[in-house]
Amino acid sequence: MRLVKCWFCSSTIYPGHGIQFVRNDAKIFRFCRSKCHKNFKMKRNPRKVKWTKAYRAAHGKDMTQDKTFEFEKKRNRPERYDRNVTEDTLKAIKKIDKIRSSREAQHINKRLKPNKQKIFKSEVKEIDQNINLIKAPGSYQLDSEKTKVLVSTNKSVQNEAMEE
Amino acid sequence: RSLLGDLTNAFSGLMSSSNGSILSQQQQQQQRTFIQMGTTLKVVDNSGGKEVMCIQSLRGKKGARLGDIVIGSVKEAAHKVDVKKGKDAIQKGKVKKGNVVYGVVVRAAMQKGRVDGSQVRFDDNAIVILGIKEKKKDENGKEKKKKYAGGFHQPLGTRVFGPVPHEMRLKKQLKILSLAQHLV
Repeated sequence: MRLVKCWFCSSTIYPGHGIQFVRNDAKIFRFCRSKCHKNFKMKRNPRKVKWTKAYRAAHGKDMTQDKTFEFEKKRNRPERYDRNVTEDTLKAIKKIDKIRSSREAQHINKRLKPNKQKIFKSEVKEIDQNINLIKAPGSYQLDSEKTKVLVSTNKSVQNEAMEE
Repeated sequence: RSLLGDLTNAFSGLMSSSNGSILSQQQQQQQRTFIQMGTTLKVVDNSGGKEVMCIQSLRGKKGARLGDIVIGSVKEAAHKVDVKKGKDAIQKGKVKKGNVVYGVVVRAAMQKGRVDGSQVRFDDNAIVILGIKEKKKDENGKEKKKKYAGGFHQPLGTRVFGPVPHEMRLKKQLKILSLAQHLV
């Protein structure tokens, strides 16, 4: 039993799932489900279809280069069965999976984090262009020195007339 | 499928310009089925035949699948080679046009299930010619009555082109497996 990758979306194909298509030049295309198979028949390029791993790898969305990937490489040499080796391998698979997924999450976090340099540059630009919107720091002091203005009594008489 | 055929005929009567797009959509998602009477199969050995039309599938009521044996009529064969000196052109290959032949389906466009649960399908329908069906002669009635029972024919050609599936092993077509370039 061997777990293979879907040609289109790069997800693992478990036994009993999917279709293998053999082209006349003897190249085998494996698909995990009919969605991928139909997209292939439509002659779509997986590197351009957004939800595939090929697209994400090609556009730097997902982590591609890491040592944890080397554990999963295809080896054509059959291993002689050794119970201890099998046990250790199973434990290692779990651990490597954990490490790999945490590293992938880190990669995505890094990518989504705001770029400090970019923000700084944009802020500097904004200040340069829209400096007229900001009040000069010196002018606040001038405002605080309030001047008293006397209001004459004539105005109060006018207000009473309006109230009626 | 026949319903779809009738519909397209109706459409072609009414509109001719938009029919193309509808047809192409249907063709893009083809439902692959059995190899039955009338199906043309490509010949992938060097027996001389190029194209065979299935007359009868020797297995299954609905038709033949990957690995089954069919009887077919050779529709197209390798061209006769003209020899300069003699008048008669030499027939290239053992099979002529019009021969009725037995063949085993080595590639089928319809998917076939395997024991591990996976499905395999190929790009086209292809056969390897096993033997020419001889016409029954009334004189030696009993002798010429070749009943296809038990013994498997050996492939007529000496080379097989293209990928060949493992299903041949189950069908006891071991010679084809040994001649194959690629095993799938």
